[in-house]
Amino acid sequence: MNVKRGIGWVIGIAILALSAQAVAENVKVGVVQALSGPPAIVDFGESYLQGIEAALREYKAARPKHEVEIVTYNDEANPQRAVSLVQRLISNDRVSAVIGTVNAASVVAFSPILQQAQIPVLIGPSTATDITARFIAQKPSYVFRCSMVENHMIDAVLDWAIKRYKKIGLIHTTSGYGMFALAEIQKGMAQRNVQLVAVESGAPTVTDMTPQILKLKNAGVELLLVYHDSPELIYRAFQKVDYKPAVAASWGLSSKMTVNVIGKDAIEGAVMAQALDLNNAKAKGFDEMMTRALGDKYRWPVVAALGYDAMRIMLGAIDRAGANAARIRDALESTEGFAAVSGIPAKPFSATDHECVDPSQVFMGVWRGGRVVKLDN
Amino acid sequence: MIATDLVQVLLSGIALGSVYTLLAMGLFLTYATSRALNFGQGDFLALAAFLGMAGMLAGMPLIAVVIGVAICMAALGMLIERFAVRRIISRSKAGAAHLGWILSTLGFGMMLQNVIALAWGKSRYYSPPLFSSGEKQLVSLFGAGVFLEELAIGAAALVLAGTMYVLLYRSDWGRRVAAVSFDRHTAMLLGIDVKRTVMWSYVVMALLTGAAGLLVGPLSSIQSHMGMLFLLKAFAAISIGGFTNPAGLLIGGIAFGVIESLSNYVDSTFGDLYPFIIVLLFLIVRPMGLFGERKTDVR
Repeated sequence: MNVKRGIGWVIGIAILALSAQAVAENVKVGVVQALSGPPAIVDFGESYLQGIEAALREYKAARPKHEVEIVTYNDEANPQRAVSLVQRLISNDRVSAVIGTVNAASVVAFSPILQQAQIPVLIGPSTATDITARFIAQKPSYVFRCSMVENHMIDAVLDWAIKRYKKIGLIHTTSGYGMFALAEIQKGMAQRNVQLVAVESGAPTVTDMTPQILKLKNAGVELLLVYHDSPELIYRAFQKVDYKPAVAASWGLSSKMTVNVIGKDAIEGAVMAQALDLNNAKAKGFDEMMTRALGDKYRWPVVAALGYDAMRIMLGAIDRAGANAARIRDALESTEGFAAVSGIPAKPFSATDHECVDPSQVFMGVWRGGRVVKLDN
Repeated sequence: MIATDLVQVLLSGIALGSVYTLLAMGLFLTYATSRALNFGQGDFLALAAFLGMAGMLAGMPLIAVVIGVAICMAALGMLIERFAVRRIISRSKAGAAHLGWILSTLGFGMMLQNVIALAWGKSRYYSPPLFSSGEKQLVSLFGAGVFLEELAIGAAALVLAGTMYVLLYRSDWGRRVAAVSFDRHTAMLLGIDVKRTVMWSYVVMALLTGAAGLLVGPLSSIQSHMGMLFLLKAFAAISIGGFTNPAGLLIGGIAFGVIESLSNYVDSTFGDLYPFIIVLLFLIVRPMGLFGERKTDVR
């Protein structure tokens, strides 16, 4: 009898051990970000990655269900390299999911590969408007995004701008991003029955923008929409031609790197689209935690917060689904009750919407005393 | 275009053109002595800008910053000549291998880029003003606002081009450079220390580039990979002025800067393209540049 009982105990313990082993899985998540290349792009890539790593640190410290590891690659903002890295993540690293990247051309290039391989991708911080829309009709779509979306930001900026200013001008970069912003802004202005009084541009490699700013001044522009990667050159030219228009911009203007190069006083009052309200207790806590952990290297609260939230959504999905890519996709889509530090809602995605930031969560931020705070309407 | 605008645009162009001039003079000098162009010269400019910024932010007096940057640049000039040019040229035979210096100078420049990225990261920076701060940075010239650094870089280009002209055509060092440039073996037979002359030409190149880097820092944002663009425009300045003397390079550099500035005023969409189209058209008409010699020098 005792022998039988002993055998029963041994079998029971073995079953328990085996089942525990079956539940805890090793899960690899590929992260592709631009960590070298044009400084404005690198700023996005590094900040988003800071958020991802912070979320993973927290997850690991909380005795997680699964062993999650990130495999990080630098795509150098180069679409060809991004595609090759994603292929490497699929074939060599055998990742269950991918997060990345900032460059829209890279995202457009590698998303179909991940869709075909049936590996979920959480895009960020790329803002190009139609990325998830390209795949949403495919059932199921493996392409999700956790980032601001360019046309949401442009709408927020234009809604704010036309109520306050009659003469609105634009300065944009001639890169793909700048030309896209130009088209979206012109479309948005036409929809609101107003027109830009002046449009100037500068190549991404420009080193002086005095001539362009002079023309904007001559056109009497009261509010300047800035969609250029080097806003500091624009502010330098303001000084030279003795011109101080109001400035509104994409979220690129909210990086602390920008205030470092433009100066706290010069940038005071500049507004931009945002999705992180630092007056909110959770956002404030996140900001303090990141400042403590990274010091000066932490430059961009909204981008880092979106990276942090993206990784937490991913980790939540992995907790529920394990290492199986298809199940992670389903778990991402069905995420509920998510407590974000940024403006992401409790249910970030649905079968028809793979954007975690909706237009309703986008608001205007403003530089006040060296910090970006929510602009009171 | 109203007169004040024209002055403003011209002054901006002259300031930019002065940077190209200083770089072009460095290219000219090293090519004259070693028949090699330093493709890493743009990265010398970037390093000088970062060193200048670091010195100013550390609260060092301007003179100490200038001396510090000059010492570093001179040392780098010697290093690149010794390890990336002299060894390659002395060991190579005629033919394709003779172009090894392209890769070695480019590689040297890339190492500098990475050193900058390691020390300061890949972000962009503004160097603090060299001469004053706040509103005092600006002076009014014919009704146009000009940064003191813009005036300084214009003056530096003018003075250094003049000095270079005098040194090249009125001094023993200039005669040695001319001899080495004409034929290094003949120069050696004449008792000229060719290695030393070449090395000093690289030191002067590095000092000229250092001056440009120090002054461009507060005018434009600086970043680890900023050099190649300036270098490309310095080549354009050479194409206009001709690869012959500092006066031509000064005129070529300023002309390119002014064309660039005017292009951005007239049509900023293709503001960076028009100057290169104009240079291409100019080269069709006058391939040797403004001051270049039409025939091969057979002295």
